[in-house]
Amino acid sequence: MDFVQNFPFFSILLSLFSGPLSSVLNAKWAKRVNAAVITVIGCMSAAVLVYVTGTGQEYVYMMGHFPAPWGNEIRVGILEALMALFFCVIMLLSMIGGSRERELELEESKQNLYYIMVNLLLCSLLALVYTNDLFTAYVFVEINTISACGLIMIKQNGRTMEASVRYMIMSLLGSGLLLLGICFLYDLTGHLLMSNIKEQVQLLALSGNYHIPLIVSLGLMSVGLAIKSALYPFHTWLPDAYGYSTLSSAAILSSLVSKGYIFLLIKIFYRVIGFEIVRESKVIHVLFVFGIIGMIMGSVSAIREDNIRRMIAFSSVAQIGYIYMGFGLGTAEGVIASIYHVISHSASKSLLFVAASGLTDASGESLRYRDLTGAGYRNGLAGVAFTVGSLSMVGMPIFSGFISKLLFAQAAIGHTYKMLLTLIALAISTVLNAVYFMRTVIRIYTPVPEGFLIENAQTVTVRQQPSKSAALVCFILLNLFLGLNSEPIIGLIQRGLEMFD
Amino acid sequence: MDGLLLIPIIGPVLAGAFLLAASFAEHRRTPAAGGGAAERGSVSGQGRKGRPKALSVIVMTVLSVSAGGALFFAWSGERSLTLFSLVDTIPVFFRVDGVSRFFVTLVSVVWMLAGMYSLVYMEREGEQKRFFGFYLMLYGVLVGLDFSGNLVTMYLFYELMTIVSFPLVLHNGTKEAVMASLKYLFYSLCGAYGGLFGIYILYRYCDSLVFTAGGTLGDGAAGHEGILLIAVFAMLIGFGAKAGMFPLHAWLPAAHPVAPSPASAVLSGVIVKSGVLAVIRVVYQIAGPELIRGTWVQYAWMSLTLLTVFMGSLLAFREKVFKKRLAYSTVSQVSYILFGLSLLSPMGAGGALLHTAGHGVIKTGLFLTAGVFLYECGYTRVEQLGGLGKKMPVTLWCYTVLSLGLVGIPPTVGFLSKWYLAQGALSLGKMFGPGSSGGGFVVQDIGIFSWLGPAVLLVSALLTAGYLLPVSLRGFFPGEGGEEPGQRRKEPSLCMLFPLIALAGLTLLLGLWPQPLVSLVNQVVEGMF
Repeated sequence: MDFVQNFPFFSILLSLFSGPLSSVLNAKWAKRVNAAVITVIGCMSAAVLVYVTGTGQEYVYMMGHFPAPWGNEIRVGILEALMALFFCVIMLLSMIGGSRERELELEESKQNLYYIMVNLLLCSLLALVYTNDLFTAYVFVEINTISACGLIMIKQNGRTMEASVRYMIMSLLGSGLLLLGICFLYDLTGHLLMSNIKEQVQLLALSGNYHIPLIVSLGLMSVGLAIKSALYPFHTWLPDAYGYSTLSSAAILSSLVSKGYIFLLIKIFYRVIGFEIVRESKVIHVLFVFGIIGMIMGSVSAIREDNIRRMIAFSSVAQIGYIYMGFGLGTAEGVIASIYHVISHSASKSLLFVAASGLTDASGESLRYRDLTGAGYRNGLAGVAFTVGSLSMVGMPIFSGFISKLLFAQAAIGHTYKMLLTLIALAISTVLNAVYFMRTVIRIYTPVPEGFLIENAQTVTVRQQPSKSAALVCFILLNLFLGLNSEPIIGLIQRGLEMFD
Repeated sequence: MDGLLLIPIIGPVLAGAFLLAASFAEHRRTPAAGGGAAERGSVSGQGRKGRPKALSVIVMTVLSVSAGGALFFAWSGERSLTLFSLVDTIPVFFRVDGVSRFFVTLVSVVWMLAGMYSLVYMEREGEQKRFFGFYLMLYGVLVGLDFSGNLVTMYLFYELMTIVSFPLVLHNGTKEAVMASLKYLFYSLCGAYGGLFGIYILYRYCDSLVFTAGGTLGDGAAGHEGILLIAVFAMLIGFGAKAGMFPLHAWLPAAHPVAPSPASAVLSGVIVKSGVLAVIRVVYQIAGPELIRGTWVQYAWMSLTLLTVFMGSLLAFREKVFKKRLAYSTVSQVSYILFGLSLLSPMGAGGALLHTAGHGVIKTGLFLTAGVFLYECGYTRVEQLGGLGKKMPVTLWCYTVLSLGLVGIPPTVGFLSKWYLAQGALSLGKMFGPGSSGGGFVVQDIGIFSWLGPAVLLVSALLTAGYLLPVSLRGFFPGEGGEEPGQRRKEPSLCMLFPLIALAGLTLLLGLWPQPLVSLVNQVVEGMF
């Protein structure tokens, strides 16, 4: 066995133990440890990705030398390694981008708690990505929820308390449904390991027995994870949670936490149930319909929103809708498009959150849309970054959003009755996205009329906010990379998905 | 060697970005941080006398170098360049062919002349650096659009063109300008999405998305004509939005009056033609004329263009704001071009291309004269424009020549193009027999349209005369009381006058010696069928 094969296990353990370690460190050191851990895990994931791409074979890693039903397994393929790497990159950039806000907004004594939460969050995300055991997945889903709640609540004002309670309730409802689904499945098959369940489910499907309980458990798991990843109409927790929490929390929640659940859902589709059975069930039609409704309703809510952070948050609802629509198409192309959109949306959404905070810094910390007039001149880099993020969201070529839109459309072409619906929904959603994003871009580049400048508006230079600026530049480059050079990533996704079967 | 093809595309874009950065730094330094109002107007012109001059030198150097490069590449044989691939198998691919040669020449000529004009004109509008920043970038993007060798590259530059051109409409930052630019943006986005929808479908059924004469539909397309026709129709409507075709034409009269005059000139003269370029590429070089000949798409397309021709002229006739009138006129004239293309015959397409060149030159000139009236006298409405013949005879003569060109009076290029358009339509009718053009070309009967088309063109030409010529008439013969006493002769400065004279001269020259233009057009048409 090659040494590289240990890396996924190491990265889970490393992030897990850096949590308790941070609790005895002061804020400064906790921050350094956190950054180092994310970087190291990122490098290890990259090494794993290179290794798995090289061998072209996925491998199963047995923990503690006990075979499967007693011991625990993780499974590593291209897609898992890619996701782990990508999560690390986005998390690192979000943490760097939001470091100034954390120092300003969080109590001094609570800051190292924040890093504990982030480390645990990373640990749970990695475990969700790598695990081969359905129950382990459930355990880490819960850990994920708890740490995400902490990330929202740590700002400690009324808004975030309310938001985190709401998040907690909705999220627990989601994990409850997921647990129910897992129980059903355990009852039907007698296994918790993903590959064993799949074997049994295939046999059940062939024999035709227990068809309804099988579909019910699939439905329960889908709905549970859909609630947790804010598919319309279960999105009500989202705008407050993203809108009022501290900057790095918002960026991480929107681009990683919900995406981790989506990735788990993909694993359930492919590795637990088997995509053939999922395709034949009616569940994907439901996901498709709610995805499309979400695409449109999310944008409509965003248009009506006056607070820029909440506007970006509502746009997430629409983008999550895209992803579920891709699942709903029920083809491998659709899932590839969805996975690509997971990546491209994470990159643009965290960019937008950081850029918007740069703009509000230059406008006296006001989040109101009107106060942002001319903010693009006061904070140049943030203005450019926001424009890039917006154009990507609208789906302009050369930015990453265009590629995912193209992939969705290509996946839809040739579909008997979902094609027209998808294309129309894409069209409407493009225009709606343009309405609120381009409106904001124009607003931030409109010169302020004499005497109307709001109080506390100030010019922000790159030198004043070095870390945020560095994060923004990296985000912009990442977006352009995804938009201009999507082919290798799509290739990796494709190969990774083939490994899933 | 072929990598040099990128120079006229990247060069102006970088230079424009540099100017934008400079304009940005200027904004930074103003005390209000973001208040551009303080230095608008004459303040900037008088305050720093030296700098606008340096700006003019930069702009003109970059423009002439890149235009020189673009023309050189366009006219020195076929060449192509493949860059990295954008999505799976579709690369960013540039190729120079006849169509790109034609459009690059038009763009470069208009861009140089309008650029020269705006050096003086924009001094009064302020924010020159920002304007020229986007102006230069837009030139690079347009050259990229013309050089694009496949559909996806073209779409990429088409969208970039929308993004880069809407700040020009937004320029003066008033509420009206914001609304107009948003309107422009949304019409363009909706249109572009129509185009994208078509690309999705064509990508599946075409052998390749590289532009090829006669189209690239393969064997796989058999049996899928229905969806392909829908796709082509969506693309016609979508790209037609830029060209101001009927259902999506309303952005033109909103955007043109608020944009600075040189911006509306290039908007009408060139940007609108990009829609035409896209339609040519899609219909003739991807889907192929054979696919839509004689189908409902062709008839719907012809009806829409004729409707637009008539409606645009009528609206222009009723309009009293001068630049809005010219904008409606663009709506109507560009649909002449689209009508010619919808005939799907070499003669019709030739007429369309001739009219593209003619209208590009003429309408740019007309908007520039409108700019002169605005700049020297502050006139925006038609009824204010009396008695200008004494004040600025040269300008008004240029205007008259350009108007005659647009109406289509013989020794001008407008007559030539309309002649070909009408011929193209008539030759497809039964009673006139097969046209002489095109060796292996199947002559098709387009029924009622063969005479309805020319009839509409004729009526519209009369309306054109009706809305353009009164300005000259009242300019030279203001009648009783129309003339202000003590008027002195006051032509605009040479920098503004020269482009007008050049454009008016081109209108006449191309009409008197049409041979080079016609042979170029013939060459282009050969590459289309």
